[in-house]
Amino acid sequence: MTVIRKASAFEILNHWVLAVSFLILAISGFGFLFQLEQLNAVFGNFNAMKNIHNYAGIVFTASLILTIFHYLPVSLKFGADDIAWFLNGGGYLSKKSKVPPQDELNAGQKLYYIVILLSGLAIAASGFAIWLRPQVPDIRKLVVLSHLVHNIAFDLMIIAVPLHIYLATLANPGTLRIMITGTVPLEWARKRHAKWVRKMGY
Amino acid sequence: MARKALLISPELCIGCRGCQTACKSWNQLPATKTVNEGSIENPPDLTPNLYNKIRYVEMPSNSNMVRWLFVSQRCMHCDDAGCIKICPAPGALFKTKEGAVGFDKDKCIGCKLCVAGCPFDVPRYDEKDKVSKCHLCSDRIAEGLEPACSKTCPTGAIRYGDRDNIIGKAQKAGYEKLYGQVDLGGLGVLYAFKDSPKIYGMDERPQIPETVVFWHKVLKPLAYWGLGGAAAVSLLHYLVIGPKKDEGGDQL
Repeated sequence: MTVIRKASAFEILNHWVLAVSFLILAISGFGFLFQLEQLNAVFGNFNAMKNIHNYAGIVFTASLILTIFHYLPVSLKFGADDIAWFLNGGGYLSKKSKVPPQDELNAGQKLYYIVILLSGLAIAASGFAIWLRPQVPDIRKLVVLSHLVHNIAFDLMIIAVPLHIYLATLANPGTLRIMITGTVPLEWARKRHAKWVRKMGY
Repeated sequence: MARKALLISPELCIGCRGCQTACKSWNQLPATKTVNEGSIENPPDLTPNLYNKIRYVEMPSNSNMVRWLFVSQRCMHCDDAGCIKICPAPGALFKTKEGAVGFDKDKCIGCKLCVAGCPFDVPRYDEKDKVSKCHLCSDRIAEGLEPACSKTCPTGAIRYGDRDNIIGKAQKAGYEKLYGQVDLGGLGVLYAFKDSPKIYGMDERPQIPETVVFWHKVLKPLAYWGLGGAAAVSLLHYLVIGPKKDEGGDQL
């Protein structure tokens, strides 16, 4: 079986750092949002949970910035095949539906990355504003605004990420290995990322 | 239990600041060194060690050299309290059975969101980053005593009692509507103003920031339903349409 490398070791590591930090942030964030005292069994108390939330935020932000090098250039390439991908519902709406050849990331993955990058940067910036309270003329206004931005970005991510996890595991068997070994079978790649496979010279 | 409240009557206040001192004394709050900045209002603002402050307002007047207005400024013990609404730490800010907004420093996580959620800019943070503000002497009123400020006030400018009683008495005395009677679900500190609230240094229409209300009513439920919806859609897709299998392709 011929395999083709889709993710570098660094990309895999960084994706797991991003994923784990996100999960910690999302779970503790949910705890703050709904005052879930049950989470004290995990984090100890709300003071500890706040500190873990804040410092996990630093890890998340750094990891998110590193993803720019991996996913942003390809995500910004948006052409007719990408539009057709969306018009066909990504091929997910029926067993028979077909989509045109895709780049290294398909159109849905591109849009997902843009959503995660923008909401991630927004949630990071607003989070740091709430945490560090920079010296500005009206800190209360800044915190109220940051609180709004933080929660809008959270809502976007809490909807997008579960779909991403589903699509990368159960919905597409064989995808998860990209984040474990970094390689995929050539045939698998041909079916899903034909343009990229061609570009790689296969 | 009947909701308790304070009635502040600025026109009765002589600016002695006995209430400030009694408050510090009961709550064991240290004094702060200040400098004279041209007003005898002192200290100039609420601090973590100053729960109650008399604001000094000087107004031009026809009948006198100056019209002095002395207004007690402190936590208003809102019924619909922005600080409690926005606080992420359970039990850090809470309602007592008398309707006061109390706080528990052990449960406060020092995020300072309550500062942004409060329509009156009241909460302060101490040196350990814990919330600090007037709690209507909740330890005293729970025992049937009145707060230190009203207990000490020599002129009746700060009165304490059942909220309904206070409103009833004020209406009999000719105040059609007290400041704080309906705002934010009704404040626990009512003001008998004889003029526009602005003159006394108060907001005409205090309200919780609109974005905090929007967050509470829309964004918060959306997080809950959004997560559930995304999981449900995934499950439904898996069951109805099923995964993308590659005919003959290698699988992990």
